[in-house]
Amino acid sequence: MFELTSTPLDSAALLARLGRPDAGALVVFEGRVRNHHLGRPVTHLEYEAFDELALAEGAAIVAEAERLHPGAHVLCVHRTGTLAIGEIAVWIGVASAHRAAAFAACRHVIEDLKRRLPIWKKEHHPDGAAEWVNCTTEAKPASATAEYYARQTALPEVGPEGQARLATARVLVVGVGGLGCPAALYLAGAGVGRLALVDPGKIELSNLHRQILFTPADIGAPKALAAAARLRLHNPAIEVLAHETAFNASNARALVAGYDIVIDGTDNFATRFLIHDACRAAGRPLVSAAVHRFEGELNVFLPGQPGCLHCLWPGRPSAELDAAGNCAGGPVFAPVVGMLGIMQAAETLKLLLGVPGMDYRQTRLVNLLDGSTLAIERIAQPACPVCGQPGSSGPELTPDSSGAILSDEAFAALGPVRTVALLETGEIPPSVSANVETVPAGDLARLRELAATGPLVLTCRSGVRSAALARLLRAEGLTTVYARAR
Amino acid sequence: MPDRTHRLHVRFFAVLREQAGCSSLELDSAAPTPAALYAELQAKHPLTFPATLLRVSVNERYVTMTTPLAAGDRVVFIPPVAGG
Repeated sequence: MFELTSTPLDSAALLARLGRPDAGALVVFEGRVRNHHLGRPVTHLEYEAFDELALAEGAAIVAEAERLHPGAHVLCVHRTGTLAIGEIAVWIGVASAHRAAAFAACRHVIEDLKRRLPIWKKEHHPDGAAEWVNCTTEAKPASATAEYYARQTALPEVGPEGQARLATARVLVVGVGGLGCPAALYLAGAGVGRLALVDPGKIELSNLHRQILFTPADIGAPKALAAAARLRLHNPAIEVLAHETAFNASNARALVAGYDIVIDGTDNFATRFLIHDACRAAGRPLVSAAVHRFEGELNVFLPGQPGCLHCLWPGRPSAELDAAGNCAGGPVFAPVVGMLGIMQAAETLKLLLGVPGMDYRQTRLVNLLDGSTLAIERIAQPACPVCGQPGSSGPELTPDSSGAILSDEAFAALGPVRTVALLETGEIPPSVSANVETVPAGDLARLRELAATGPLVLTCRSGVRSAALARLLRAEGLTTVYARAR
Repeated sequence: MPDRTHRLHVRFFAVLREQAGCSSLELDSAAPTPAALYAELQAKHPLTFPATLLRVSVNERYVTMTTPLAAGDRVVFIPPVAGG
């Protein structure tokens, strides 16, 4: 519960409201008016609130703390008006079964409240001067920020210009697990201006040995939310957004569109392909990592560069790859995800800074059992349905048993059906009838969206690329995708 | 910018209230976004607080400075907060 009041806070009365027979822990934080600030004496404070929004935000902050720490009961009251030295400005009490949740929830409420509650305070000094805290615009945040990044900006590859570039950068981290935790932590520390975390999961005890943003107090909390709160503590100067959702075909395009670079820290091929294809369609670099026991691999996929994720696994359905890899839920040596996640952060920072990095056509393999590393060039498949070149020698268009490739008779028999003309880069759109949509040949994300709504016929000039794409989508379970030449 | 104007309700708090010299005003504006509205207000009132340090709420919800405005919206520009 969250309240605003203009009358003095009575700690004992508030405590009495929190007593619960099931609560073995009670943590109270009192924010009090002190007699100095930034080396200047203070005589009293004046608090002003935007009541309507403060009540809504305060309630949201309390609700979020209770969701992050299941079983915690929060009471928070904030004062407004004129307060003398020693008076309580904010009172936060948390009752819970055990101490960890009570301490953590209390900390979360005060930190989030200072970040987003629309309340302002004016400091009055003995000489009669007064000023709104945090609102003096002269050279205030710059010095603290500069010192935070001092050891990094001292690098000639970064410098103040690079640091400014990082401050305006936006990075999407999909999967906040063993890879996403260290990747996001280093990006936050480096000062990437906006980080967004996507994960539908909740924190489990068996995550903690490798998912370094979380502690036992976070068990049961939504991963994206808990990680965002932890990253804001690490670097209060950046913006961190939490999306408590799976990355899926319906949100892929919108999520990727808002960011400069995407980090894939997920653990299944279905999602990996979705992320990869959405990045390629939107022209965003993708920094991807995967692990297996003591080994990991890193791939950086640049937009438009041949040798994509589909080239690595030509024609292999994601379910088959997941079964073979057994990544999700499998045994894993924690330092491997830590190392690969940090490598993802490193490549992301270098891409943002424009620092020459590794050869992005290569897959980098790391083995922490024997300490070896290996770089292997990814072979671009000329007939790859996603990154292959049009007109390159691919498989012949042959009838196949799946029924994916339509003859003229079969097409006619299908009746009215949604048709998509695939466009190669630079290809002039064919003159097609009004009910035919054109989609860039590499935009698998859009094709998935369309295929999910019902039968879909893909066309291309030769029929080769449309056939390959139809097979690929069918392998994902979209079984009413067909192909033909136009 | 559309030439149609819409009636907007603006409230000021803290440093902005003092700079504007009032706690609220109503105006007919063609500003399509809060960013444009703040620039328009700065032309008429001594609001020296930099727009880059402001957040904004419309109808008691935080939005971005580029969220489209509609007739009847209640707009509040939020200087850096200092609760606690």
